[in-house]
Amino acid sequence: MSDRGDNGRKDNPDAPSLEERATHSGTKIGDRRVRIVRPAASEFRRHGGHYVATTRVDAPQGKLGRAYQGVRRVLFGARLTSEEEAGERLSKKTGLAIMASDNISSSAYATEEAMRVLAIAGGAALALTMPIAIAVCVVLAVVILSESRVIRAYPNGGGSYIVAKDNHGVIPGLIAASALLIDYVLTVAVSSAAGVAAISSFIPAVHDHRVLWALGLIALLTLGNLRGIREAGVIFAAPTYVYIVSLLGLIAYGVFRILSGDVPDAVVPRDAFEPEGLELLTPLIVLRAFASGSVGLTGSEAIANGVPNFKPPESRNAVITLVWMGAIFGTLFLGITYLATRIGIAPDQSELETVNSMLTRSLVGDGTPFYFVVQISTAIILLLAANTGFSGFPRLASVLADDRFMPRQFAFRGERLAFSFGIIALALMSAAVLAAFHGSVTELVPLYTIGVFAAFTLSQSGLVRRWWRLRNPGWRLSMFINSFGTIVTGTVLVVVVFTKFFYGAWMVLLVMPILVGLLYAINRHYTNVHDSLTLDRPDEPIPRLKPPVVIIPVARLDRATLQAVAFARSISPTVRAVHIATTAESAKEFDRRWKRWTNEVPLDVIESPYRSLLQPLLRYIEAIDKRDDRPITVVLAEFVPRNWWEWMLHSQTALRLKLSLLFRPNTIVIDIPYHTEDTGHGVTPREPEDSSQ
Amino acid sequence: MQLKRILVPLAGTSVDPEVIRVAIGLGKPAKAEIVAIHVIEVRWNLPLDAILEPESERGEGVLDDAVKVAEQAGAHIETELVQAREAAAAIIDTARDRKSDLIVLGMPFRKRLGRVYVGKTVQGVYVGAHCAVLAYRQEETR
Repeated sequence: MSDRGDNGRKDNPDAPSLEERATHSGTKIGDRRVRIVRPAASEFRRHGGHYVATTRVDAPQGKLGRAYQGVRRVLFGARLTSEEEAGERLSKKTGLAIMASDNISSSAYATEEAMRVLAIAGGAALALTMPIAIAVCVVLAVVILSESRVIRAYPNGGGSYIVAKDNHGVIPGLIAASALLIDYVLTVAVSSAAGVAAISSFIPAVHDHRVLWALGLIALLTLGNLRGIREAGVIFAAPTYVYIVSLLGLIAYGVFRILSGDVPDAVVPRDAFEPEGLELLTPLIVLRAFASGSVGLTGSEAIANGVPNFKPPESRNAVITLVWMGAIFGTLFLGITYLATRIGIAPDQSELETVNSMLTRSLVGDGTPFYFVVQISTAIILLLAANTGFSGFPRLASVLADDRFMPRQFAFRGERLAFSFGIIALALMSAAVLAAFHGSVTELVPLYTIGVFAAFTLSQSGLVRRWWRLRNPGWRLSMFINSFGTIVTGTVLVVVVFTKFFYGAWMVLLVMPILVGLLYAINRHYTNVHDSLTLDRPDEPIPRLKPPVVIIPVARLDRATLQAVAFARSISPTVRAVHIATTAESAKEFDRRWKRWTNEVPLDVIESPYRSLLQPLLRYIEAIDKRDDRPITVVLAEFVPRNWWEWMLHSQTALRLKLSLLFRPNTIVIDIPYHTEDTGHGVTPREPEDSSQ
Repeated sequence: MQLKRILVPLAGTSVDPEVIRVAIGLGKPAKAEIVAIHVIEVRWNLPLDAILEPESERGEGVLDDAVKVAEQAGAHIETELVQAREAAAAIIDTARDRKSDLIVLGMPFRKRLGRVYVGKTVQGVYVGAHCAVLAYRQEETR
């Protein structure tokens, strides 16, 4: 029989392996054969010189485990292998539904948000909504042109963070990343709040419990995203297209009626603004209205951030989707704004009904099927917009985690290849923000646009530096486009900060540097850990250590102790046992029993008059450690009960000691579990007995 | 004749699933132990116990598929992966060591020079095996 390791080298014959090769002689000389025995072949398959864990490895054991797994399968779907990632990529159609829904859905509330600011200056000021919408669309066109350059320059995604980090340095990169992370959280909060607002427009009872409804919607989205992005796309693609088609139909019908001279009467809001206005129409109000209307630009960065989510050719598909997104949003936003201003729709002061709902009612009538189609599809696409946050945040967090700016857990993919940790973190944060702002879109919107414009400005200016540095063919045009983009987005950023500062924007400006500091601190920790763990050279020799000093805390003399002592003696000749006694009598009694049992392992008995156990043990270990430069190894005998509920019947001293020693330097802790069915691996006690302790 | 132990050599051809099902059918009455074997033939210029990664992977795949076919047929089979200079000799010796009553061989339908071709392993096992041998030829492909 011959044993060989996986690389064909002769391994230590005592080391067990997943494969054994036994040579058998044949009937004739030369008919020898080698039998390859793989007892765990069903769990570990050979592939390309290494082992691959099969599905059986993760198969749950026990009824409870199987039931839990069954529930997980129903909720999240079957597990996917890493190779199946390519199949999870998005086509342009599903990509538009998933990644562009945030931007497209902004058309459901962008007009209203601009109108709400202008309405403060009176009904006449609402006439400025259309010029503001045109200005927003011009900015969007610039952003889309600039973002298409980002996609071409950085086809691996990462968006503003990568661009800013590569071209401006780490801190600007982290500012862009923080801005985007905050923005994704707000995307989920705002979109779910706006989705509920759309529902409450035709079911007023929902308005009273809008926070609960919005939280429920976030939970639903979390579940959908934990199932994986492709399925999320399949689930949500249809409603996006229903929204686009129904809104385009509504706009076409409205324009037709206006052109044919049949202008409908405007539906009057239940709680209208003062027609004369509360303030004078100042440039500041116009700028604020523009800043509020720019909420329609949010979400246009999601495609550039998620280029790798697209099917190949990723960059091309992403750019096409980006252009489609801009064209659709522009048409819907301008169309809705034109109809609302032309018909004379005014916003509702208490957010009891949305402008879009009033516009639809004015055009097609109250309670008509088409009205419900528009409202329901609006609610659903606003939910999809929240989904943009779910596809953007986890991916950005994973990129940051790969760069060691966020905890490693954010880079792990779950069973469905989704970044589960990021998805859950996003859900919790957005739920907290939503609840804190009472589920109000108007309260949330001032916080919303700063992050995205900060990220835009940093990435655009980063690209300007890149083109200047590289000077590739066509660099002048690219540099011009991105310089213009920097100026436009930078200006919008200043306007948004200036006009919305006291309405809540200060919170974002406060959180952003804190987040940057946090990301930086995480990176410093990981860098320190990496530096201390990295080998100096790849062929670093294995150091030879002296056998350690082994200490065995002993509570009683039983089979578990015996097994621990046997193991301790197998790793070192220097073994000491220590027993903590509560009285002088029990100390003497234990010492007598120990000496009667063995003289081979010295025992120290410590009397603890105040019955404390851990502190005397820890001090004893410290005292021994000071006297010897070899590492201290503490061998713990731990009894493991058969059933989980039996745990409660034991004091868990070993567990507490393990926790106490976890952060102690130069200390190795070895746990020797003793299961009730164990036979002591061939060791039999000479005198198994219980001590009085 | 009560069949207690059946050996099924598999080469990884299209006939494998049918051979497994035939062996399960034959072994069912006496609840026979069925062992599927795949032999990796090692060239003479290599040591017999050489690590042959692609061949081992393929062999494991062949045996895994056999287990799946058996599970679908409601039966359990054992598997064995062997390296030898010549497949026929290894099959015969394994059958002898395992005290097999029957070897079920599969032959994919192949023609050479206008005649059905029987490979050298099938011929070798037919001639040299101590126990009964059943050769199952695949249906003619049209």
